[in-house]
Amino acid sequence: MRKFAIACLTLALGLILAAGASAADTIKLAVMEPFSGNFKDIGDRYAEGVQYAAEVINAKGGINGKKVEVILVDTEVKPDVATRKATKLILQDNVRHFCGGTGSSVAGAMEALADKHNTLFFTYGMAAASLTGDKCNRNFFRTCASTDMQSYALATWVAEQGFKKVFCIAQDYSFGQEAVAAFTKKLKELNPQAEIVGQVMHPMGTKDFAPYVSQIISSGAEVVFTSNWGNDLTLLLKQAQPMGLKAKFAGYYLNDELMINAVANDQAVIGGVGAEVYMISIPGQANQEFVAGFKKAKGFYPTWLRGKAYAATMFWAEALKKAGNDKVDDVIKAWEGLTYDGPAGKWTMRACDHQVQQPVWIAEIVAKNPYFSHAYVGPAKMVAPERISVPCEQTGCKGLAK
Amino acid sequence: MTSQRPRSLAWMGAAAAALVAAPYLLPPYQLRLVTEGIVFSLFAVSYNLLLGHAGLLSFGHAMFFGVGAFATAICLNGLPGISCLLAAGLGTLAALLAGLVVGSLLLRVKGTPFALLTLAFNALFFAIGVKWHTLTGGDDGLNVVPPKLNLGLLILDPGKGPDMYYLTLIVLGAALFFCWRFTATAMGHSVLLLRENEERMRFLGYNTNVTRLMLFVFVGGLAGLAGSFYTLLNAFVSLDAISIDMTTKVLLMTFLGGTGSFPGPVLGAFFYTYVQDYLSNLTDNWQLIMGVLFIGMVLFAPGGLSGLGQGIASRLGRSKTASQP
Repeated sequence: MRKFAIACLTLALGLILAAGASAADTIKLAVMEPFSGNFKDIGDRYAEGVQYAAEVINAKGGINGKKVEVILVDTEVKPDVATRKATKLILQDNVRHFCGGTGSSVAGAMEALADKHNTLFFTYGMAAASLTGDKCNRNFFRTCASTDMQSYALATWVAEQGFKKVFCIAQDYSFGQEAVAAFTKKLKELNPQAEIVGQVMHPMGTKDFAPYVSQIISSGAEVVFTSNWGNDLTLLLKQAQPMGLKAKFAGYYLNDELMINAVANDQAVIGGVGAEVYMISIPGQANQEFVAGFKKAKGFYPTWLRGKAYAATMFWAEALKKAGNDKVDDVIKAWEGLTYDGPAGKWTMRACDHQVQQPVWIAEIVAKNPYFSHAYVGPAKMVAPERISVPCEQTGCKGLAK
Repeated sequence: MTSQRPRSLAWMGAAAAALVAAPYLLPPYQLRLVTEGIVFSLFAVSYNLLLGHAGLLSFGHAMFFGVGAFATAICLNGLPGISCLLAAGLGTLAALLAGLVVGSLLLRVKGTPFALLTLAFNALFFAIGVKWHTLTGGDDGLNVVPPKLNLGLLILDPGKGPDMYYLTLIVLGAALFFCWRFTATAMGHSVLLLRENEERMRFLGYNTNVTRLMLFVFVGGLAGLAGSFYTLLNAFVSLDAISIDMTTKVLLMTFLGGTGSFPGPVLGAFFYTYVQDYLSNLTDNWQLIMGVLFIGMVLFAPGGLSGLGQGIASRLGRSKTASQP
């Protein structure tokens, strides 16, 4: 009995903690990213994009007369941590707008949370197709390409180049499997003569790629498709070139400047192509102005992650302007069908699944570029939205009406 | 002793009243933390039945928690119209089965081999979670919409904070009470005996393997029930629920709270939940502080928080009796 009483007393003490009050004259936007651990560099770059967008918006007087206040939240790429911190912001600080780009498990958790509390979540980086597929809900928007769209864009490029022998290598988990499946499907559709001469799904965190590289070489592949990221991409590229692999790489993340830096061998990356919804080398005045403005304000270039986050935040701001206020229900209604003409071309938010319809840009890695002393992306070419679109009825999203 | 009983009854009455009134007294976010605290209390108590009572150090308790959590999510998604309590029941059943399978394979090992094998089994379950992504959603996890619970007179919506709190308090509170009673039963005593002198127990005619297996199935089911409610609370489950991280978490909670008494892990679970919430607002490196706290606790207060509490209480009691002539 005594022990129970002690437990109860401590419980009561814990309950006394009070809640804070919040001011209502700003629009709070919480950025859910990893700001510690292995993926810190990704979270930091996304956050820089969002913050720059907020600066641009605030310099022009804000949205509907209110300034945007960016709140950085460290998710540690753990869904339960993200859920707990976001719940606190919703219930205690009355935050209604959230965004994030890292970790599809975090995305799933945030999607469930947005639905539960009727808040808004938009992602500029979480690619799992299911998020706007069978998990879709009306509080969740995606302003970047899904794995389907990104794979379709690369398949389009491979088909156009007329490659006949293709090899696929990817990390063995949901994302890698999704990416390879979508790529294979689209390639067969576009060019039935193209042949997948080999496919490897390797464990995450592989250190020795030599056996896979020799498999690629002996398959006679002309091009290698990969959705690898992080160390799995760095090591693959680093080990492939010295072994004499001549095939080109067509990859999701070849345009990552930190990865190219880590490979530390320009010859290993030159000639490969990357595909993204934002590339620093996109032609057009809108992008040139953005790049120049960003460089001037921050002192470094808005590479892919920063650009994606920036354009997404500007798109979100357009929806708030159209709604005339920042109430979630009004913003959802305003965002559906809205078109935003930004640095990366025309983006249209599709109403049926809240998946943006947008071009994907493809660029080859070249030695000489105006941005870095190492190799980086050359001029970007557009793959038009209608060529990579997944029709509403094929997404698996069973309607967003509540 | 006679004057002690009404006083502790009064204490318990006050505590019960506070728990019932909590949704009216607490801001929504605090209520959520309490709910989470109850879920982890059951998880930690089930862990302590192994560690504190049977003296079995396991590094794989998250496998039961995760099996319960995932089975509940799969039932909710795969069987439309299922009640959330039935889904939690099926989740618990799945964890019981996992306990039966793993337990029967681990019957003959003790000490370090037992600890390492539980770690291996946890890794195995985690790997299944990663690979079998048609079932578990792999790295993406599973989203669920916990259905409203129709109890005839009233309808509870697990999506609403207070409703979920009451549901958790009643179901998991009952499970916690059951665990508390369990330690006083013959079976509970035989578990203690298992820790103290297994050889003697065998000479007395007990089949210690059966006792151990029953205990394993029992704690597996309890951890699974906690996992089920974790899914209902978050409306989401990911591989984190079945990861080694989750095992570490319950280990920390139990050690912080103290393994020596029944309320220890409950204290530990609430302490961990609140401290984690507080520290992670201050710094991104909160795990560092938690680790230092853990080391300090193990070195200087092996009895954990409950041990500290009891020490203070008995010292106070002694000084009181000493001052009386």
